[in-house]
Amino acid sequence: MEDSVWQSVLGEIELNVSRASYATWFKNTVPLSTGANELVIGVPNIFAKQQLDVKYKDLIQEALKNSGNNDTKIEFKIHSIITKKRARSSKSIDMDSLAGAPAPSSTDSKSPSKTTKLGLNSKYSFKDFIVGSSNDLAYAACQAIAQSPGTKYNPLFIYGGVGLGKTHLIQAVGNGIIANDSSSRVVYISSEQFVNEFLDSIRYKKKGFSDKYRKADVLIIDDMQFIADKEKTQEEFFHTFNTLHQNNKQIIISSDKPPKSIPTLTERLRSRFEMGMIVDVQPPDFETRCAILEVKASNSGATLDRETVEYLATHVQTNIRELEGSLNQLLALCEMRGLQPDIKVASSLLSSARLRPKHITPKQVVERTARHFQIEIEEIVGPKRDKDIVVPRQIAMYLLRSELHLSFPKVARELGRKDHTTAIHSVEKIEKGMSFDQMIRQHVNEIKERLYA
Amino acid sequence: MQLKVTQENLSKALSIVSRTASSRGTLPILSNVLIRAGKNSITLSATNLELAITTTLKGRVEKEGSITVPAKLMSDFVSGLPKETIDLYQEGSSLIIQASKYKSTVNGTQPDEFPSLPEVSSEANKDKIDSTEFKHTMQKVVFSASSDEARQVLTGVNVRNIDGSIVVAATDSYRLAEGYIGQSSTDYGLIIPAATIQEVLRVVGGAEDDLFMSFDESQVQFNYDNVQIVSRLIDGNYPDYRQLIPADSDTAFTVKKEDFINIAKVSSLFARESAGSITLHVSEESQEVSIVSIASQVGENTSRAGAKVTGSGDVTLNSRYLLDALGAFDSDEISFRFSGKINPCVISGNNPKDKNYTHIIMPLRS
Repeated sequence: MEDSVWQSVLGEIELNVSRASYATWFKNTVPLSTGANELVIGVPNIFAKQQLDVKYKDLIQEALKNSGNNDTKIEFKIHSIITKKRARSSKSIDMDSLAGAPAPSSTDSKSPSKTTKLGLNSKYSFKDFIVGSSNDLAYAACQAIAQSPGTKYNPLFIYGGVGLGKTHLIQAVGNGIIANDSSSRVVYISSEQFVNEFLDSIRYKKKGFSDKYRKADVLIIDDMQFIADKEKTQEEFFHTFNTLHQNNKQIIISSDKPPKSIPTLTERLRSRFEMGMIVDVQPPDFETRCAILEVKASNSGATLDRETVEYLATHVQTNIRELEGSLNQLLALCEMRGLQPDIKVASSLLSSARLRPKHITPKQVVERTARHFQIEIEEIVGPKRDKDIVVPRQIAMYLLRSELHLSFPKVARELGRKDHTTAIHSVEKIEKGMSFDQMIRQHVNEIKERLYA
Repeated sequence: MQLKVTQENLSKALSIVSRTASSRGTLPILSNVLIRAGKNSITLSATNLELAITTTLKGRVEKEGSITVPAKLMSDFVSGLPKETIDLYQEGSSLIIQASKYKSTVNGTQPDEFPSLPEVSSEANKDKIDSTEFKHTMQKVVFSASSDEARQVLTGVNVRNIDGSIVVAATDSYRLAEGYIGQSSTDYGLIIPAATIQEVLRVVGGAEDDLFMSFDESQVQFNYDNVQIVSRLIDGNYPDYRQLIPADSDTAFTVKKEDFINIAKVSSLFARESAGSITLHVSEESQEVSIVSIASQVGENTSRAGAKVTGSGDVTLNSRYLLDALGAFDSDEISFRFSGKINPCVISGNNPKDKNYTHIIMPLRS
């Protein structure tokens, strides 16, 4: 006998009982073993067992007879869908393992699938990633995941501004996992690609779209924010996410904003993103920038003196991509002209390039801030002291002080205040807020990014 | 079917079973209550396919039979009737409920569609449990269970036999509560759904009757007074949480529960923005524990309470978890210990009632 016997029995029963009854009692049954004259059926719980045993046994026997299995005995067993859990070593107990996140069981993880690393670029590794206070948490989380994917922080959600190393980090996780276990399937994809493939699969009725992602051991999605306004794709991703998470497959997501601040993200995706670990990467501080420059320079076979490094690090502040860009520019120039890269060349180069802070006027700062918070300029410089105006006003003052180095009386005047102590207080307030309030930090960073864009 | 019952008896029985009858499922009949009149007994049953609850009530059976009717309607109607004798009888597929000045006809359904309810038949694994102790302990434990269906195992209460004691525990992976409900030689290793325990707790109480608990490999059954609850068990391995409970800690303090609750409550007002995050500063020098919470938009708060302190330290917690935990204790003095910012905090009390109760909270990363 084969499984098809039970399928034909189900087919017959479906015709004989109400839809609701069928859905409740028969839908989740599976044939467990079939002997010569015996059929063992797995049922989800005691209630189903009792019901099938007592109320539907005759009907099932009848259906069996009709399909030509006259003397078959039937038996019901409670069959749990939960996969077996890995035995844990006693030392590894922490709250995360307490959460019962089981590792992939030995039966399903080592399927004969060959090594796949869809979309990963092997040049990104942990080794080349410079850790500083601005990104150490994200780095630590990624390393933990590379060590034991699917168990610790699932999903991992990394957010931060452009060019701060999100892509580097998440690709490094993928590469790290493959280095540890070459049989794992790591899929890296940008959310835009995901959308396109999804659309293709609908338009051309291509098969295999969901399989590609749902069979991955590790799914890495870059720039998640682009999925936000595409409802159907979100739904598809939601199911993919559930399938993977259910099977304890690692999911890593990067975005430029935290889930809370992506306005059109559906609630169920948002809450799922928030159930794992959310970390941000901040713009690098001065020391980190220096370290990055030194590593990058030595990678391209050049040496820079301390002075030049510090000069570059002071003058390019916004993001790492630009930092790297100006370094490459400097090195290329020196190579072309046969010069030794030093501070003189660097300063001439940077002054010929657009040196941004000088181009920004106080008016622009105020305007940008107002626009960011969607309030009028008249309001921000006006007398109102509503909370939703005061905070933007304080941020504007902070930016005037920190980016344009205006004096406090001048800062106050720019925002229509008479007293410079107001400005001092505001700047201090935001400075303090930046250290523990993620929302303020994010606002400030976003405004800065737009200012310099 | 035809029977006579008092309004009190019927209303009480209906209130016990009708909560379980739910209208959310796929099967409409699950929102009904099954009324069965046997030779000498009247029983009411309801099930949501996670658990089934059956209660017997006193009354006079004039004609045997059975019917199912919508539980909520029936329950609401009967509770509004005056305290007198009520007649119930069947007319076709309808149930007529009649009191002196009230009469209603409720459309019912034939009982054969009602699911057949499982029972634990084996007498092998059966224990008598002190219902007071059960209620007392379970109330302190069950709220720590997780409500996240993605982690099935943690949505239940773990019942284990450790050296002859029945130990119960629940955790949502951020906090954990463990208690003790009696002695037994039965080899327990059950995970009972927290919803089932809540239901048992609703039934148990008042009278000092014994509670009987029996189980087989896939179901557990509770019998108390005239109520029987059968529930599925959660399949899986419960995490070995005991290794999480640290044997000793660097910082420990003892404080009046009232003081502790007060300062935690006040601080939680300023912790709403930060998802309830409050920081405990424990100082050996000043023999004080202070709680700090900061709300960037609102302000901040520092509250102190005198305490007996050994070893100074700081730890950041979710105020809700702390308040939940403190509320569970009967003691007037609370002992709280922890080591550093990331190790579990252990809370215990001095009252004999809390002797075997331990509560653990994981710190927040600050």
